[in-house]
Amino acid sequence: MTRRVLIVCGTGVATSTVVADRVRRHLEACGIDAKVEQSTVAELHRGAAGYDLIVATTQVRDDVGVPVVAGLPFLTGVGADEALAEIEGHLRDSAD
Amino acid sequence: MGEDEQVEAFSGYVNDLGPAVALPVVIFIFALLLRQATGDALRAALKIGIGFVGINLVIGLLGTVISPAATAMAENVGVDLSVIDVGWPSTAAIAFGAQVGAFAIPVGLIVNVAMLAVGLTKTLNIDLWNYWHIAFTGAIVAIVADSFAAGLVTAAIHMVVILAMADWCAPLIQKYYNYPGISFPHGTSIAYAPFAIPLNWLFDRTPGVRNAKADPDAIQKRFGVLGEATVLGAVLGLIIGLLAYGFDSPRSDSIAILTLAINLAAVMLLLPRMVSILMEALLPISEGAQKLVKERFPGRDIYIGLDSAISIGHPSVIATSLLLVPITLLLAVVLPGNRVLPLVDLATIPFIVAIMVPIFRGNILRSLLGGIVAMTATLYIATWMAPFMTEAAGRVGFQAEQTSGQISSLVDGGNPLSALFVLGGRLGWTGLAGLGVLALVFSWWVKVRGAEGALTYEESSVDDASAPKDTASTTS
Repeated sequence: MTRRVLIVCGTGVATSTVVADRVRRHLEACGIDAKVEQSTVAELHRGAAGYDLIVATTQVRDDVGVPVVAGLPFLTGVGADEALAEIEGHLRDSAD
Repeated sequence: MGEDEQVEAFSGYVNDLGPAVALPVVIFIFALLLRQATGDALRAALKIGIGFVGINLVIGLLGTVISPAATAMAENVGVDLSVIDVGWPSTAAIAFGAQVGAFAIPVGLIVNVAMLAVGLTKTLNIDLWNYWHIAFTGAIVAIVADSFAAGLVTAAIHMVVILAMADWCAPLIQKYYNYPGISFPHGTSIAYAPFAIPLNWLFDRTPGVRNAKADPDAIQKRFGVLGEATVLGAVLGLIIGLLAYGFDSPRSDSIAILTLAINLAAVMLLLPRMVSILMEALLPISEGAQKLVKERFPGRDIYIGLDSAISIGHPSVIATSLLLVPITLLLAVVLPGNRVLPLVDLATIPFIVAIMVPIFRGNILRSLLGGIVAMTATLYIATWMAPFMTEAAGRVGFQAEQTSGQISSLVDGGNPLSALFVLGGRLGWTGLAGLGVLALVFSWWVKVRGAEGALTYEESSVDDASAPKDTASTTS
């Protein structure tokens, strides 16, 4: 089944595009069928129903109801591989 | 043909090509220089052209639907808000599409590397996308000073100020947002920090404001819908449509009002989408430049300069920004002399308050009051900037058929720091030299004062009403 990943940032445009590009390439490379979408953090006030995972470059409410991975490593370059592994882990878990 | 004529003919040719064709060529060359594969470079180049075409289409749509409504609103209810806020997406595109804009990234990087090398800054600004702020200021100064060189120099000085401000605010945002090692060299967010400092001092001494508190989560729950750009666009369209067209003839008026609503909702969604295409095009360049610069400064004690977008999920930032949406609209109507109709940048308010909020130590009431002062200044500056921005937009081929109305934006059309540079640029080289000296003195002051002079944040603060006031000071 196709996983749905939501990349969240302040504008839904700038930093999330950087992260979405990296996540998309990685998931493709490791053969996970996923749809990667972008949104703004302000749109999250209704929650994130329908998504398997959120990758956020900014703070996300605790009650969003979906696992959240920090996207900051993709911007600084420090810890990006670990973050990719974490994303992969979440998506493989939820596929079972 | 003489040499001068040849240069002129070439420059005219590039001009007639327009940024949608010329920028892809520049990007292609940059990408190759940064050792990207030819295929990737070509794709990036095409995408930046596509992004431009897309933004132009959406600005055209915005002008077509909103300009007649704004005119009708002026006639019907006497509210003259004829300058359309085309928002940061269009402003960034105008900035990068200008002749100066194409050089903003290399100029900005050179300034950054030079300042790092001589120790005048600790920030390595890897957020290449946000070099559009210096591109914008440079592009406007190139127009008012009628000099390409003045535009380039302005962009360089602007970068000096942004880096110095980023250093100055770094301990504050690192502690408040919990991002160790990060700074925000963001042209919009840093420009409003100076507003917050004296205001906070004032609030500390104002009974009633001093200890007032508001709950950001409750505000977010209640006003959260204002953060949804599409819903906001539709609602604004309904309100503006009603004011503009009235409801005398239900059939034709309802058609006009509903059409305006759906089209404004479309603009709010489509404009950022188009920008994300531009952004994708810059990715290979951004990655290549990051690698190159990072290799030069390995293991140094530096701040990684990032987009202040990473702070915008903070509850106090969201709550303040949501409340400022209706307030900004109200201000636009009641402020005498304002002519800007806030639209697209109602969604960009978080960037204006991103550094103000930590200076107010997350206190919503203070942030809101500070935000009102900031938005008032922003609206007036955006009104003043409208002729220059309209001219800049025309030069990059936007809105070619929309000659009637003026455009502006809150970010950065209403940016106080950009306005300062435009004022300097009007004075010519003397003005720019003065600003250059001030910028260098400021960055030197920030460096010499170090951690002691920097803005910072202390836990025990206003939100803990019992804490003694003295510890709440943000400056030392």
